[in-house]
Amino acid sequence: MAVRKNPRKKKTTLFLWVSLLPAILILGGFILLFVWGFYQSLTDLRFGRARVDFEGLRNYDYLFGRSRFWDSIRATAVYAFTAVAFEAAIGLALAKLFNSGVVLARWFRPAILLPLVLPPLSVALMWTTMMNPETGVLNYFLSFVGIEGFTWTSKANSAMFAVVFIDVWTFTPFFALIVFAGLRGISPEIIEGARINGAKAWGIFWRIELPMILPYILLAALFRLIDSLNQFDIIFGTTQGGPGNATDVLSVSAYFTAFQNLYFGRGAAMMVVNWLMVLISAIFVVRLWQYARNRVS
Amino acid sequence: MNRRLISLCLNICVLGAVAVLAFPVVWIVMNSFKVAADVNTWPPVFLFDPTIENYQVLFDLADANATNYGTLKIEFLKPVINSTVIAVGAVLLSLIAGVPAGYALARYEFRGKDDLAFFILGFRFAPVLLVVIPLFWFFQSVGLYDSYIGMIWVYQLVTLPMIIWLSRSYVEDIPLEIEEAAAICGASRPRIMLLIVLPLLRPGLVGASLLVFLLAWHNFALGLILTAKNSPVTVALLKLLNPGLSFYPVVSAGLVISMIVPIVLILLGQRHLERGLTFGALK
Repeated sequence: MAVRKNPRKKKTTLFLWVSLLPAILILGGFILLFVWGFYQSLTDLRFGRARVDFEGLRNYDYLFGRSRFWDSIRATAVYAFTAVAFEAAIGLALAKLFNSGVVLARWFRPAILLPLVLPPLSVALMWTTMMNPETGVLNYFLSFVGIEGFTWTSKANSAMFAVVFIDVWTFTPFFALIVFAGLRGISPEIIEGARINGAKAWGIFWRIELPMILPYILLAALFRLIDSLNQFDIIFGTTQGGPGNATDVLSVSAYFTAFQNLYFGRGAAMMVVNWLMVLISAIFVVRLWQYARNRVS
Repeated sequence: MNRRLISLCLNICVLGAVAVLAFPVVWIVMNSFKVAADVNTWPPVFLFDPTIENYQVLFDLADANATNYGTLKIEFLKPVINSTVIAVGAVLLSLIAGVPAGYALARYEFRGKDDLAFFILGFRFAPVLLVVIPLFWFFQSVGLYDSYIGMIWVYQLVTLPMIIWLSRSYVEDIPLEIEEAAAICGASRPRIMLLIVLPLLRPGLVGASLLVFLLAWHNFALGLILTAKNSPVTVALLKLLNPGLSFYPVVSAGLVISMIVPIVLILLGQRHLERGLTFGALK
């Protein structure tokens, strides 16, 4: 439904504020916590110790001087950007396939939703049991194509691939759903007109369809990128950051820093850096999205 | 002829895609009905004598020593109940606080309205751990740690923004003329909302509640950090992994339980689910 400006809408009243107040109070509480967490990142807060000193940027200074922290930043970025790139490509193909109108595509369309409705932690554990190098069913399938004993999450050089693989399986359907909506929004007359003028199927896809669904792809990418940069469940459920620190993304690293080593201030500082990564990436994708949308209209 | 060939290829591609999407779940369901020896073996077993032993162990229904898993005690019913109580509570609180807010955002013009709407959506992507680190501290000191009430409140971080956005999108679907007609007849705003808008919203709100229940059911990080005895089902699943490889069949049974609830929900409200998963963008 199109958004319509309605001049008849009522002016601000008491009723408006009473309606908004409960939600604002609840969400406002979280804003306070967020600010509090930010403040804690500037202290030497440790669990179980009463004394807390404000020490400015010392946590950040400490973190930025350690190569392990830079490894975490790199792991977070590698995880999120490769996962989203694969999800965009496969999601586009999946949406085209299920939009083709063949009979099985219409029957099985609800199947796309399946990975999205399962708890991400259950998905992570499900794949963990399947990825076992000795007895896992995935290596059984791989043995048919001549690959024996792939290490999946058990070795540092394949662990990142394995966790990205799980993310891609789980969230590619999200891309497919949104691109699907974009494809349905293209009027058949435009495609028909191009075909009459002699355009080939590939030409129609590259010149007409892709530019028109690009805003949808970027919107899905925005949501997925934010979620992947924050991803905790899938990595905690499979590798917990290991082996070594091969998949030690910031959120998992911050969890262990705060709740296992009890350096709360330092853990909060790691999350602040993670949040800044999310913010910068999100602004970048929003700019791209605005550019793509203006080019279409 | 050529067209039929293409259509055949496309149908085969669809089958392939569905196989990739569904196989892992089918495999886990199969594993949950196998004995341990059939799970940890090479090559994997596709045909086997099904057993319900894993589910009996999971819910502590088997006689001690009567199973292949020794005397290990598992308590999985409690986490299922915990998850249900917390998720239902979170949905109800979100409906009470969120539906009026969604209505206001749909029907009133005020300065900064769009900013407020996107600000609310931004909570969907909040850095959960940054909020939870101070919250852990706060919950410990006021006694809300490991309590249902504390969890229901903190789940609002996930559920409330979605309810606000979805109810806003459903209110916008209701023709404004209906409300105006009621206003001309002298009905006040609260009356219009309670007696006219709410009944029209009901199907939409049922769908939105299903989705938000799902999000609450999915949550793991909040329960991991803020609960001990009253853990949700996702945290209990992780604990099932502790005994190691030989316990995989029981883990599979637990996974099946954690997945059945969402799958039943899809079957109940597929149309609403798509709208919810895309933040009201798909209608």
